Amino acid sequence: MKLTRRNFLAWAGLSAIGAVACDVIQDEELSLQSPRSLPEDLVKGRDNWYATLGRQATDGEGVIVRVMEGRAKKIQGNPKYPVNQGKQSVRSEVGLQTLYHPDRLSGPMLRTGPRGSGQYRSIQWEPEALDILRRELRANSQGMVLITEPLRGTLGMIADRFTSSLGGRHLGFEALDDTTYRSAIKRVFDQDRLPDFDIGNANYVISFGADFLSTWKGSTRLATAYGEFRQGNRRQTQGSRGYLVHVDPRFSLTAANADEWLPIRPGMEGYLALSLAYVIISEGMQAEGVDVDALTNGQGAAALAAFAPEQIAARLGIPEQLHEGKSAAEKIRDLANNFSHHGPAIALGGDSAGAHTNGQFNLMAIYALNYLVGSLGSGGGVRFNPGSPLAMLPDAARMGSTADWATVASDIRSGVTRLVLVHDANPVHGLPDAVGFQSAVSVGDPFVVSFSSFMDETTIMADLILPDRNFLEDWGDDVPEPGPGYEVIGMQQPVVNPLSDLDPRSFGDILLSMAQEMGQESELPFANVEAALKACVEGLYATGRGTSGEAGSADELWNLMLRQGGWWDESTSGPTPSAPNGLLSDIAAQGREPGYAGSGDFYLLPFSHNTLLDGRHAHIPWMQGLPDPVTTVTWQTWVELNSHTAEAMGLREGDVVSVGTDAGSITGVLYPNPALPPNVVAVPLGQGRTSGSDYATGGDPRESSNVLDILSASHLTENGTLAWAGHRASVRATGASLKVAKFEGIFPAREIGHTAGEAVIRVTNH
Amino acid sequence: MVTSRIDHKWGMVVDLDRCNGCQACVIACQVENNIPINDKNAFLQNRAYEWIRVERYWEGEYPNIKARFIPVMCQHCQDAPCEPVCPVFATYHNDEGLNVQIYNRCVGTRYCINNCPYQVRFFNYWHPNWPERMQNQLNPDVTVRTRGITEKCTFCIQRIRRGQLQVERRGGGELNDATLKSGNHMPACVQACPTNALTFGDQNDVHSPVQPYFEDVNRYNIHHEKERKTRGYRVLEEMNTRPNVIYLKKVDPNLDSSGGHHG
Repeated sequence: MKLTRRNFLAWAGLSAIGAVACDVIQDEELSLQSPRSLPEDLVKGRDNWYATLGRQATDGEGVIVRVMEGRAKKIQGNPKYPVNQGKQSVRSEVGLQTLYHPDRLSGPMLRTGPRGSGQYRSIQWEPEALDILRRELRANSQGMVLITEPLRGTLGMIADRFTSSLGGRHLGFEALDDTTYRSAIKRVFDQDRLPDFDIGNANYVISFGADFLSTWKGSTRLATAYGEFRQGNRRQTQGSRGYLVHVDPRFSLTAANADEWLPIRPGMEGYLALSLAYVIISEGMQAEGVDVDALTNGQGAAALAAFAPEQIAARLGIPEQLHEGKSAAEKIRDLANNFSHHGPAIALGGDSAGAHTNGQFNLMAIYALNYLVGSLGSGGGVRFNPGSPLAMLPDAARMGSTADWATVASDIRSGVTRLVLVHDANPVHGLPDAVGFQSAVSVGDPFVVSFSSFMDETTIMADLILPDRNFLEDWGDDVPEPGPGYEVIGMQQPVVNPLSDLDPRSFGDILLSMAQEMGQESELPFANVEAALKACVEGLYATGRGTSGEAGSADELWNLMLRQGGWWDESTSGPTPSAPNGLLSDIAAQGREPGYAGSGDFYLLPFSHNTLLDGRHAHIPWMQGLPDPVTTVTWQTWVELNSHTAEAMGLREGDVVSVGTDAGSITGVLYPNPALPPNVVAVPLGQGRTSGSDYATGGDPRESSNVLDILSASHLTENGTLAWAGHRASVRATGASLKVAKFEGIFPAREIGHTAGEAVIRVTNH
Repeated sequence: MVTSRIDHKWGMVVDLDRCNGCQACVIACQVENNIPINDKNAFLQNRAYEWIRVERYWEGEYPNIKARFIPVMCQHCQDAPCEPVCPVFATYHNDEGLNVQIYNRCVGTRYCINNCPYQVRFFNYWHPNWPERMQNQLNPDVTVRTRGITEKCTFCIQRIRRGQLQVERRGGGELNDATLKSGNHMPACVQACPTNALTFGDQNDVHSPVQPYFEDVNRYNIHHEKERKTRGYRVLEEMNTRPNVIYLKKVDPNLDSSGGHHG
């Protein structure tokens, strides 16, 4: 509307009436003010809480965002959202700092200097930026590759259809991807969707390698279940408390919380699992109704005879001090006994257990245990999720394995792929150097378009940067995975507008408009993402199920979904799989010990950082400044060695050490960890970023390294994913020393009365 | 004057058997309370701010080793050692059981920090510094503390106050467990905690989940600790500071009666 004098006066009059109206309310409020009240009470203004999705966590939490005066202030778990039930992970608040980050890219940019130089000039969206994209798509869409974060729901559908209709392909990227886990679930349970573990109602859980209280799939949901597992209502009435055994060559956060931690030789998890299976079958301890003959092709325990505890115990490397005066074999028998007699029981595995040359075997052996104790589909067991309620919405992200990335790199190098689109993925940082992704881009010289909001190692290789909106500024949805055991669609809505000095555009909207200009309207007939979501909501309304039943029209359903954060139908449930014939004998036949790449005195165990994950949050100061739960180190790459081993090597905390494999070496500061096995060196991912925000790249290079750089690209699991936990490494001093930026020791425990620890943390055995 | 406010006595219960040390409470607190960014120097100089922190203790030797976690925040002591030493009455006990810090009275003597046995008070050695754009995120309900004064956990008093205002605006009712939860008025750490290890409530409210623990621990003091019906205890109980925070003991089924480990 044009502002004329007349309009101005009219609006001024209206505002005055509004002010009077508000004044009435304020008077009332003022009369309630206490003279004792703090200045905080004087803040005026109403806050609004909007339900949306936290897209920075890959497992899709539902969140509510507090917005005041058009600014987002706080992100919290959405109490109504079935997956995380009002709780949030340590990484949930990241969205606020990405939204208001000083280094957020403000608008489209075109490369002016050599590739990788970081020299760009700002351009306008219309016509220049979009013209360039249009031109490249017209010329080079055949063979193009679109690399994104794991995408499900509408955006996943748009990305899939966009690439397939234009002759390209779409691959999701994660540094430590879940391909092996997925493939094991498919083979053992014949399921395409990841399961939910009802730990809250279980009595006994054996976890192999999966750091499910920190960074594993669905960790928030599992942490809530863990709280119930320990001291839930059922526990308090029945008096029993869940018992957690964690098998892991590294002392992870989950190991720290286990009642029993069994350090094992890396990659031998599958042997231990089959050994438990052998004991359960040979002693007839399987749950009622379990058809052992079908599982073993009629061979019974004989099918697993090679895994009998007496045969393999010595090879597992479980320290003798844990045997309670028994032999290692007896210890395994005890474990099998407890596992089968204290149901409901769950066996789960992932992370390093699946990242070996025999990773798929390991995970299959672990998950097959669930059949023996009858925990499929029952309370306190493994539950499966139904698929997406709408056929058009993908319920699982299309992910690339290391082998896929090698193919992509060779396609780029040979010129088959002339156009690379990247959205919120950083393969240059997240793939081992040996995969050659970065050099392929330099050699093959494709046109690279990045839709990232931040400069990173991949975006700096781009020719054109088209910054996307933050998830708090954009539409979207998600079919959460792992889900809660019934059908859920989460709804993401813009809760704030972009700041006036920023000019981002929605990635999904751009793909849709480009597809239509390229004549693919039949594939993607939506004006924008919001329209695509509305089409989904109409589809959901037509089902008449779940949340749809509470709405009188599709419009009402839309509003309801925005208000509560999504759609769900609690009456649905996933399938209860039955064991494929001969499952255990087949797994046993695949059994082989892991191979290790390289030589060196130590097993090298990289792990996902509690807050930075693979480095995608390294530019967020909140995440950098949050202590690692076990070591309390911040802002640095630390190298964990057993304290006694370090002492024997003449190393002290803070010494800069070099960790070397056949593929190269990195440095980090030493953290002597009293709980690490003496033959292991553990290094977190997360740091070692070289491009982008100062928060990510400003560290001393000696204490900021990317452990992925020294992994071998040819050391793969059975299904072509990086066997990142199967390397040997050597550790040597560099002579330099730095202070470790850690939280531990800032507040020394004061000795009052008893010994320091005892006085502060009290422990009981019942 | 406010007439509708009832007598509250806020308290928190921390279940160490649920806590898994994940740090979600720490970050939720930092976001809610405008806590300055802890850059690397803050850690190198032992001056990091964490109103709630998770301490990690080692117990035993490899492989029979345990890491134990305990979240520590201001204990809101009823006999708080920090209160009598403040020369300017910047810290005092309010009638809802909270130990309150009035920032614009504080002159930065740091006596309170020195006297706090729980080490939960923090001195602003620097002027808090956020990049300009990040200031958009700051919580308008919470004062940004300047250099030279002391700050600490408030049990998110701004959320409690908003809750009281909301209840009064609706014309009655009381601020209890249900209204605290439904209006997002629980302290940020309690709201965030994925394992539900933290519980917050009114000790005077018999329906509050924290009440039975406070009653038990109050009834049997440290000399009659063995008679307690719950796992409740107070940290550094022998100092008789009578905190409004109660911890529930960690359960370790492998602990033998001598306090050592088997297994």
